[in-house]
Amino acid sequence: MILLRKALDRRTFLKGASAAIGLPVLDAMLPALKASQIPGQPVRAAWFYVPNGIDMRHWLAGDDGPLGTLPKVLEPFEKVKNDILILSNLTSNWGRPLLVGAGDHGRAVSSYMTGVQVQKLGGVDVKLGVSADQIAARAVGHLTKLPSVEMGLEEARQAGNCDNNYSCAYVYNMAWRSETQPLPPISDPRALFERLFGTDIVESPAAHARRLAMRRSILDLVSDDTHRLESNLGAVDRRKLDEYLSSVREIEKMVERSEKEGTIIDPGIEKPFGIPPTFDDYFRLMTDMLIVAFKADLTRIATLLIGREGSTRSYREIGIPDGHHPLTHHQGNMEMLNKVCEINCYHARLFAEFLVKMKATKEGDSNLLDQSMIVYGSGISDGNVHTHDQLPTMLAGRGGNFLNPGRHIAYQRETPVANLFATMLDRMDVHPEHIGDSTGRLKGVSLS
Amino acid sequence: MQFPGQGKAPLGVVYSTTMNRPDAALALAMLDGYEGKREARVAAVAVNGSELDAARFCDIVNRFYLGPGPIPNSNNRLPVGFAADDPQALDDPMAKGVLYLLNDKGEPLYPCGVTRVSDTAEVQALIRNALTNTADQNAVVVLSAPATCLAAVLDLPLVRELIIAKVKALVVSDSGARQDVAAARKLLAAWPAPVVFCPRELGEALRFPGSSIEKDFAWTPAHPVAHAYRVYRAMPYDAASWDMAAMLYAVHPDAGLFHASETGTIQLRQDGSFEFHRSAEGKHKSLSFEPAQKDKIVQAYIEIASAKPVPRPARFGPPVKKQP
Repeated sequence: MILLRKALDRRTFLKGASAAIGLPVLDAMLPALKASQIPGQPVRAAWFYVPNGIDMRHWLAGDDGPLGTLPKVLEPFEKVKNDILILSNLTSNWGRPLLVGAGDHGRAVSSYMTGVQVQKLGGVDVKLGVSADQIAARAVGHLTKLPSVEMGLEEARQAGNCDNNYSCAYVYNMAWRSETQPLPPISDPRALFERLFGTDIVESPAAHARRLAMRRSILDLVSDDTHRLESNLGAVDRRKLDEYLSSVREIEKMVERSEKEGTIIDPGIEKPFGIPPTFDDYFRLMTDMLIVAFKADLTRIATLLIGREGSTRSYREIGIPDGHHPLTHHQGNMEMLNKVCEINCYHARLFAEFLVKMKATKEGDSNLLDQSMIVYGSGISDGNVHTHDQLPTMLAGRGGNFLNPGRHIAYQRETPVANLFATMLDRMDVHPEHIGDSTGRLKGVSLS
Repeated sequence: MQFPGQGKAPLGVVYSTTMNRPDAALALAMLDGYEGKREARVAAVAVNGSELDAARFCDIVNRFYLGPGPIPNSNNRLPVGFAADDPQALDDPMAKGVLYLLNDKGEPLYPCGVTRVSDTAEVQALIRNALTNTADQNAVVVLSAPATCLAAVLDLPLVRELIIAKVKALVVSDSGARQDVAAARKLLAAWPAPVVFCPRELGEALRFPGSSIEKDFAWTPAHPVAHAYRVYRAMPYDAASWDMAAMLYAVHPDAGLFHASETGTIQLRQDGSFEFHRSAEGKHKSLSFEPAQKDKIVQAYIEIASAKPVPRPARFGPPVKKQP
């Protein structure tokens, strides 16, 4: 066979005088030999972390089986009940006090993601391990524009003592590239937008400011190149490119709107510039960008810190002016506990909405949710007493015809949550020998 | 149990048991008794080689010794381990005989927190996690069950280093370990810390007096271990004390009650029984006792096994009940 067609470079950008935009994977980028073979859709993995535990009275427990009537915190998932697995009894042992005592919030998220003991070294030094998402990113990150994307819904601090001599780096970062190198989450929508849809060739500050002042889209700056590329693409690729650029423009408009509203509506509250005034909008804006990034195959790995451990955020959007963390230390006060439950339900509603959008996003004959594995959980179960076992854990999606969702599976207690992450990474063809303190793989989650 | 703010924790004991004989029930009572006196703490209890009822019985005994009040959370007390899907698992009439006892109101006489396998802990992770919560050289492992799970623990990443750092000794009771010869051989060859062997004859020579059940445990009308003793066999009888001897030595090796031999090597015969050969290169030791110590040893058994529960302090506030 003689191969005549030359594939479009995977790292092709749409370039303008002062900006450039990365592209999704187009058929034209696939090697000519493989283009006709229609490769399988990629599998994505994401971790969504909720802080301060969950009101476990209203989470699922008990026997294995199909998901029936959902308890209060899980009610928002009714529409996607057949797309989620509830996995009970997983443990993050290194989150426990063990021999080092207080600081449960300080070590909860980092030990959860790495399965490694968090070293208590004061406010400056850190020592941990490589997080599950980054083990995956090392292996498959070269296949996409961005190896991974780290997002957060609170501005991240990287230094200082955040909890009993645990560095803030442990508290604010889910992703760890090495023992000492966290990957700080992006909490600013504009910064996330530009990381996802801009390129390494960044606009100069002057050009960026000029474009914002003129309220021009980043797409306007690359329009000539866009037309040139389109003329060389087939019909399928043209449609794909058009959908992608439309999504980018929609997101860009949302970012612009939030930047505008963020300064006018809520100027008295300490917030970084451009963050939407309500938590709902903030969550939606960030996760909408993730959906576009996943669909365009800009990345296959993501983490989202919904709140940092020990977060004192208040949720006035749902009528709760109290800080989240103080509420979780309810000492049995039912009024406080019920407010915790409302916050848990609020987070769950937003995550469920995200799953519905993922499911509505078509990808070939499938949809984005079916092609994904998304963990929703926490490294603390009972926020009142700081327990790190029987963790609230949901795994959403089907991982590309891999998972068998719609069920509750109760594992034996002390089973490391890292076993779940190792199972997910196997699906991504990463096959780590172990992740942190994992003891094997989770049985029963997959179809096989 | 780790008591925050109370200085160094006592010796942590990992007890791997079949829990299907009275000496096992009494050894668990001893361990809980030591914890009440802060001479040791329950690092982990793992059932291997028996059905779920044995794990349920262990949970009952632990709850009994914790006394009234809330059960400590899992930061302070790990759930009972249970080797599920064990093809060698045996029925446990002793445990059954206690589990289904009812009080005057028709309720279970002893509260139990284990109703299904998922209420128990996965054994390998349990033992590893228990050791992570133990200070250096402040743990012992007592094995009286098939070595299947304990040998598998050695395969976990970084566990060998953990054992070297944390474990003073593995005390092997020749009462259940022979059920999985391959695992026992692997364990004895690869265990990276000292091993002390408690021969079968020793436990048979040191009999626990059945009369003590009626006398020393009579401070309560409902004692799960006393009930287990009675259920196991028609009274009166004096039970062999294989596991009790192992537990007593594990917690108080320097009490002068037992004699640890010079080094040697424990080997398994074809029939699964153990044999100890002295050798300078060996890393195992074998236990024996002087006849003059017999009464002291039995008295030590009785005193600690029949100790009354001591309430343990809780960390933070009371737990909240689950809603139906």
